[in-house]
Amino acid sequence: MATATTTPTATATASGRTSGGRKAPERGSQMRGTVRKNWAGGALSYVWLLIVLVPIYWIIITSFKPQSDYFSSNPLAPPTAPSLTNYALVVESDFPRYFLNSVIVTVGSIVPAVVISFLAAFAIVRGRGWALKATNSLFLMGLAIPLQATIIPVYLIIIKLGLYDTLGAIILPSIAFAIPLSVLVLSNFIRDVPKELFESMRMDGATDWQTLWQLAFPLTKPALVTVTIYNGLGIWNGFLLPLILTQSPEKRLLPLGLWTFQGQYSVNVPAILASVVLTTLPILVLYIIGRRQLMSGLTAGFSK
Amino acid sequence: MTALAPAALQSAPATSTPGGSGIRERSLTWMALPALLLFVAFGVIPLLGVLVLSFTTWDGIGQIHPSGFTSWRAVLSDPGLPHALWVTFLVMALTWLVQTPMSILLGAFLAGHQKYREVLAVLYFIPLLLSSASLAITYKALLDPNFGLGAGLHLPILAQDWLGRPVLALGVVIFVVSWQFIPFHALIYQGGVRQIPITMYEAAVIDGAGRVRQFFSITLPQLKYTIITSSTLMIVGSLTFFDLIFVLTAGGPGDATRVLALDMYITGFQANLMGPASAIACILVLVGLALALLLRRLGGDPSASQLEGA
Amino acid sequence: MDPSNTSRRGFLKLAGLAGLSASAVGTLAACGGGTQPTAPGAGGSAGTGGGAAGGTGAASYWFLSGQPNQGIREGTVKRFNTANPDASIKYTEFQNDAYKTKIKTAIGAGQGPTIIWGWGGGGLRDYVKNNQVEDLTPFFTENAALKAKLFPSSFEAATVDGKIYAMPAETVTPIVFYWNKKVFDKVGVQPPASWGDIMALVPKFNEAGVAPFSLGGQSRWTNMMWLEFLLDRTAGPEVFQNVFAGKAGAWSDPAVLDMLTKIQDLVKANGFIKGFSSITADSNADLALLYTGKAAMMVHGAWTYGTMKTDGGDFVSGGNLGYMNFPAVEGGKGDPSNTVGNPAQYYSISSKASDAEKNTAKKFFSTSVLDDTEIKAFADSGSVPIVLGSNSQFSGADAPFLNFVYDTASKAKTFAQSWDQALPAAASETLLDNIAKLFQLSITPQQWVDNMNKVIGS
Repeated sequence: MATATTTPTATATASGRTSGGRKAPERGSQMRGTVRKNWAGGALSYVWLLIVLVPIYWIIITSFKPQSDYFSSNPLAPPTAPSLTNYALVVESDFPRYFLNSVIVTVGSIVPAVVISFLAAFAIVRGRGWALKATNSLFLMGLAIPLQATIIPVYLIIIKLGLYDTLGAIILPSIAFAIPLSVLVLSNFIRDVPKELFESMRMDGATDWQTLWQLAFPLTKPALVTVTIYNGLGIWNGFLLPLILTQSPEKRLLPLGLWTFQGQYSVNVPAILASVVLTTLPILVLYIIGRRQLMSGLTAGFSK
Repeated sequence: MTALAPAALQSAPATSTPGGSGIRERSLTWMALPALLLFVAFGVIPLLGVLVLSFTTWDGIGQIHPSGFTSWRAVLSDPGLPHALWVTFLVMALTWLVQTPMSILLGAFLAGHQKYREVLAVLYFIPLLLSSASLAITYKALLDPNFGLGAGLHLPILAQDWLGRPVLALGVVIFVVSWQFIPFHALIYQGGVRQIPITMYEAAVIDGAGRVRQFFSITLPQLKYTIITSSTLMIVGSLTFFDLIFVLTAGGPGDATRVLALDMYITGFQANLMGPASAIACILVLVGLALALLLRRLGGDPSASQLEGA
Repeated sequence: MDPSNTSRRGFLKLAGLAGLSASAVGTLAACGGGTQPTAPGAGGSAGTGGGAAGGTGAASYWFLSGQPNQGIREGTVKRFNTANPDASIKYTEFQNDAYKTKIKTAIGAGQGPTIIWGWGGGGLRDYVKNNQVEDLTPFFTENAALKAKLFPSSFEAATVDGKIYAMPAETVTPIVFYWNKKVFDKVGVQPPASWGDIMALVPKFNEAGVAPFSLGGQSRWTNMMWLEFLLDRTAGPEVFQNVFAGKAGAWSDPAVLDMLTKIQDLVKANGFIKGFSSITADSNADLALLYTGKAAMMVHGAWTYGTMKTDGGDFVSGGNLGYMNFPAVEGGKGDPSNTVGNPAQYYSISSKASDAEKNTAKKFFSTSVLDDTEIKAFADSGSVPIVLGSNSQFSGADAPFLNFVYDTASKAKTFAQSWDQALPAAASETLLDNIAKLFQLSITPQQWVDNMNKVIGS
């Protein structure tokens, strides 16, 4: 591995203190003409595609079946009389509000969470002193705090703060719980940034704040993207915090919105699936649009 | 990461004057403050509350009775605890074993720039967006012996007692978890692979290395740090895994899929034994801490000691 | 500075922080448990405590979501609010499982609603033990007419240590023995009149390629219904009453072992549909097995009638659904008229609410709950409200079934409450666990008895 690394290092240092700079040409683009097609890979990818799509196909076709047909038709056969009843039920049930609440809570939690975790990770890696060491140990301890165990004390704290039944009640603990793992991943990443880059910035007289945003931030983008997605998905689908910390229907989030279709003894499966489809579509569209930025974020930084 | 010779680092000029390091120390410490405050408020204080609760007997609705080590003794002598630890470990190890190779392969595959691979990437992403409740409903329906996949495709082999036999149920849990999260890790690996400079592969081709050889000699080693990041998320994440397993099998059949987090919830919220549940929670935290330290050791932490020096 | 120093200093600081926080949490918890709830969600003014005992104030009420009962409950509250503009009730709905978690957390933190919707039995006993609910015995003495119009058997699950702590309400849903008439005709057999008949029918159906019994075994309480009936038919209601009363070793009655062995015999004879441990009841897959003809018989709650009617096509409307009380067991001591199930739903009043709120709740109980409108609404939706004489409201295609339920419930010598509702939480969890294992044949009847004896009275 020793000899091969000189090329990427040179690329990194040559670019100085801005982002990773000119990327080495990416794998695949030049290789296409020169290498045999990857049959094994192609075959495997289609097998995986099948595994991924079968449940999703089931979700979609079932969402168009009326509940009375749910058991009488072959589960994998498309509906003989497709109906939009389920979708109508979902839209009528205040779905847009739940969606908006979920968006507010998710964005309102991950942005602060990632930002303050990034600040903390930078401080832990670059700073000194017992306070930062203690903080780091504290965060490590917090990695596996089970939400279900701490929910009652959190509940009491929220009530004392007067935040019960507000979206803030969900946001604050969500941020707190995202911190340990984010700090761990981010600090690992920052730790791997070559020291000379930091040295050269300091020798140029940059303040810590500038070093943070001009050097560390661009280079840590892959980790930032990773923790954003990881935490974001967890908060978007989170159930327990909204259940315990909010109450009124106006403050409900999407996971609780499924209640409309869950009776005391039974469940309206097609309607729930319609709700699932409507929940997933916007994010999927978001992903399709933002895919390139996402990938560029994940591949930012100096080549390793 | 670039393995710069340690000598290069140590020969760097002494970094700061005592006064300068004092200022930097203060300015950097404040950066960690917001995270620390929030975490203390909603993480540490509740956790201490849980610790305190573990020394009490409480049924969740009445008075809290301090009771010393009763709850701890009950938990530590219950055969359910080692079983839960074992199941947790199994789930953790197996999900890692299933997800990591698959994600690396998928990520490497998707890193190619062919158009159809981009389409595939979008489709592969969908499972990630589904909530545990919807996943549970979907899979419980698909696995129903009479109305699910087996019946639909007329394939008796798919109409097993999936959720009724312990080994199968465990397999289902691992499959569903992997099904949902492989796209995420594949995404990370895709990013990791795209960062590998093409020149390395060109050199290998010139040296006559085939695709498989290139994968093992170039791709995998270059992905070391990505593997560590991904594995950290996988392992720590699987420890507090609750929602999906709860709605899928509720720990069953019997206690075949009763991971530690589930054991804690069932003890506390269904059997109304908050004291023992809090003790189990503390054990969970300790296991997490042990894992984190282990991961840190594995990931190599050369810079930590350097920062502390001088 | 060397690492060991910093880590020790760090640890000491942490310990100091810990001490501080522990006392903070202690204070928080104590505060949470004791104060009057400003029951978040209670609309407008939470009535100030004390004051005129006759005064009423806004109250809060939490109940289950899910139509049609949700709509009926909402209707009742709205009628009350219209008639009592200065003492309104604010309600919030929750899904079944979510409700169980939410109500526990809320009451534990002193933030419960004024009117607590519940299942009575062991859960209610837990509330009583912790002084969370009002003693309603004086209320019912005052409102004797109200008490007299409700099914007498419904009060058993509302009574703890001789006092009444909840108002029985809504509907009664006994467990019913259903069968598919079309399948029976095809195979050419008659519905069973005894346990022996059941065992004889099993091989006949299996040969014909139909599962004898449908069962949603993954849900566990579905398996439990079998044990409830079998034990009652074999040994009478006393055995479980002893368990409920906390008598040590109550499960060791020989009838219990006999009953458990019978169940395992049924399982071994393939009496239940293949793969029953993977079938969930809440998706109604077990009902579908019956109405699509894949299974011949089913033991399930009366509430499934409505679902089978809506989802089963012409199964119910075409007269293909047979129903009766669970057959007798030869040589058994139980009265064949006994039944098990949910005798009612139970409304309690939080003891932590202010007097004004409690008065509102009591007024609600006496004027609106199970008034004529509500009775009719339940009857129309296909359920039997627990009011004597409500059978006069039954009409239309559902009348035969509703009359059957009414007769079974009112004429039963003993109406036992579902075991998992009757027992306290910890025991109930062990019970369901062991029942699942019994059906999977992974424990012996003797082991079952030993495991359950360990948790009696806990």
